[in-house]
Amino acid sequence: MNTQTVQAEPQTPAAQGGSPLRVVIFVTLFVAMIALCVGICGQLYKFLTMVAAAFAARGGDPAKAGEVMKNMAWMVDALTAATALALASITIRRWIATHAEQRAAFLRTFFLYLCLTAGVVVVLFPFFWMLCTSFKPAGTELLINTANPFDIVPAEPTITNFKKVLKLDAAPVSAEASQAVVDPVEAKKNFGTYFMNSLVVATLAAFLVTLFASMGGYVFAKKELPYKQQLFGVLMATMMIPGMMYMVPQFFMVCSMGLFGTKLAMILPHLASVFGIFMLKQFMETIPSSLIEAARIDGASEWQIFRVVIIPLAMPIILTLFLLTFLSHWSNFLWQLIVTDFENPLSITLPVGLALFRGQYTSDLGLIMSASCFSIVPIVILFLFAQRYFIEGMTQGAVKE
Amino acid sequence: MSAPQNSRETASSLLFLSPFLILFSVFLLFPILYSLYLSFYDSSQGFGLTNLRWVGLSNYFQILGIHWEGGAWKFNDPAFWWSLAVTFLYGGLSIPLGIAAALFLALLLNNKLYGKSFFRSAFFLPNILDMLVVGVIWTLIYAPKYGALAQISSAILGPEQFFNKVGPLASPYTALPAIVFAMVLKGAGFGMVLFLAALQNIPEAVYEAADIDGATKTQQFWYITLPLLQPIIFFMVITGIIGSLNAFTEIYAMTAGGPQIVIGEETLGSTSVAGYYLYKQFEGGRFGYAAAISYVLLAITLGITWIQQRFFAGDKR
Repeated sequence: MNTQTVQAEPQTPAAQGGSPLRVVIFVTLFVAMIALCVGICGQLYKFLTMVAAAFAARGGDPAKAGEVMKNMAWMVDALTAATALALASITIRRWIATHAEQRAAFLRTFFLYLCLTAGVVVVLFPFFWMLCTSFKPAGTELLINTANPFDIVPAEPTITNFKKVLKLDAAPVSAEASQAVVDPVEAKKNFGTYFMNSLVVATLAAFLVTLFASMGGYVFAKKELPYKQQLFGVLMATMMIPGMMYMVPQFFMVCSMGLFGTKLAMILPHLASVFGIFMLKQFMETIPSSLIEAARIDGASEWQIFRVVIIPLAMPIILTLFLLTFLSHWSNFLWQLIVTDFENPLSITLPVGLALFRGQYTSDLGLIMSASCFSIVPIVILFLFAQRYFIEGMTQGAVKE
Repeated sequence: MSAPQNSRETASSLLFLSPFLILFSVFLLFPILYSLYLSFYDSSQGFGLTNLRWVGLSNYFQILGIHWEGGAWKFNDPAFWWSLAVTFLYGGLSIPLGIAAALFLALLLNNKLYGKSFFRSAFFLPNILDMLVVGVIWTLIYAPKYGALAQISSAILGPEQFFNKVGPLASPYTALPAIVFAMVLKGAGFGMVLFLAALQNIPEAVYEAADIDGATKTQQFWYITLPLLQPIIFFMVITGIIGSLNAFTEIYAMTAGGPQIVIGEETLGSTSVAGYYLYKQFEGGRFGYAAAISYVLLAITLGITWIQQRFFAGDKR
């Protein structure tokens, strides 16, 4: 049987499966993968119970949370064992039932999944760690602590960190503590405020950029204008200029307009998006001109043509630009840092707030991680719902250039 | 088309374009000239926007010049030249590693797989997350004693080792590679999607023909796959260079330009890239000097782009 295979496919000696070394490698990898699966499943289910417990604890009954955890413990064990068993039996049955070359193909696929899974674990570990650490009570933030030898997912999740970050832990323990909280400006310096600031800045900027870029893109794609091509060339040329270049002059301009420390200062200099014009022009050129002509013959005004014909047809790309602009303003740290007035809580956005916060609590893992969640979690959720727009939108420009 | 209709069309075009055009000229065109104007001034007298003094080209002399001192030529501003060197080291590490990681992931995913879109999304996700926050999280991972890396490595190697006692970000020799590692992991998914799209456009027949001619898989990769991916690689190199010249947030979040390293008589920040150095000048109130540095950086960017355009045009022919 083996010899036949070798004769049939002389170029691929790797296709034969029987050598002892291969079996050893396979068994080792197999055991490693089972261990990995058990570990991942265990941690995942622990995570689920944590979420369930957090829901139970919302009623303010920590005893109930512990009960939920305890009740779910057997389920975790059973599911983990079942998964491991199922995986083992599937793998062994397939291994026995297949031909040598299929075994090689199987090994290959197996390696592929192993590499990919390891890659995903490495790439996403920071964010998983962030989420888990943010729910840990003070004193157990470490991965390896006295209570638990290897502790990623918290055994007793709390939302104390989030309360502290939002400055909701105003329970006056001592006279000094209540004195400290009384200052309304200090109390407003919390991540709830920062989150709202970022949301306002990013949404407003995304809306205006998209509106202006659609109007401009429409002109460049479909309308007549003397020196249109030359103007477009100038726009494209400015894309070459590194963003750092604008730091000093834009700061001077914003300050002389008296906008320092306002949200408008964060938005205004970035409202003209050349990238947006480029993206929308590319797309709008594919809209047939006959549609515009037809609307014009029907007596539509220029604005009506734009609003009724162009906007609906270009909606997917407009949405993409909206999301990308939102994202770039959500994380535009340098500029927001420069124009932030640190005395005014209403001008501190999430990244600047986090940088400020980290200066105060340098090594308090739980607090910094729960503060980070305010920036990361909404974007991850947004990505889960609109990943097609993100991935296509961000890579599209690259492919076309 | 008659003349009045034509001018009406022009008027409506201008009306549509005006919001963008006004913002563009005020905030993107005018600052280029304004920055040049500012670069001839000095504001080191004291922090303030109105405290400007005309100094002509002396900012540029200070940045680029050399002087004779103690029997040797010395840079007027060694920290600037050092920051350029760090920038090129940063680019030289992160660009090839980023391309290699992206290509490796793309080659893995370019197979028949279940859950392909899951892997694609999972690798892409860190790209869209806030750079500063990601930097902060990685700082905590790298931190000695309580960081994730220190904890894991202590469990395996014991407490008396580098990651637990010093941490990668506190040693001048490992700080930059540690930042590069974090940024490569953050950005690999973007290049991966580009490569994957290009790989799927290569017709299967090409590989079949090579198989018949007796080319091995390795040969097929070097002589078929890689040349066909060249435009993507080129694109990633350009964006990578611009990215490292603009690098600021990751440095601010992870090392703040440090740890210090002594070279000759100078004490320099081992991760102080050009963008960060520019920010430090700005933060110190030396606005004119910062404007002059940004002009030098612009010249470097344009020079690199010009070289690449020439190189690329020659390649096309």
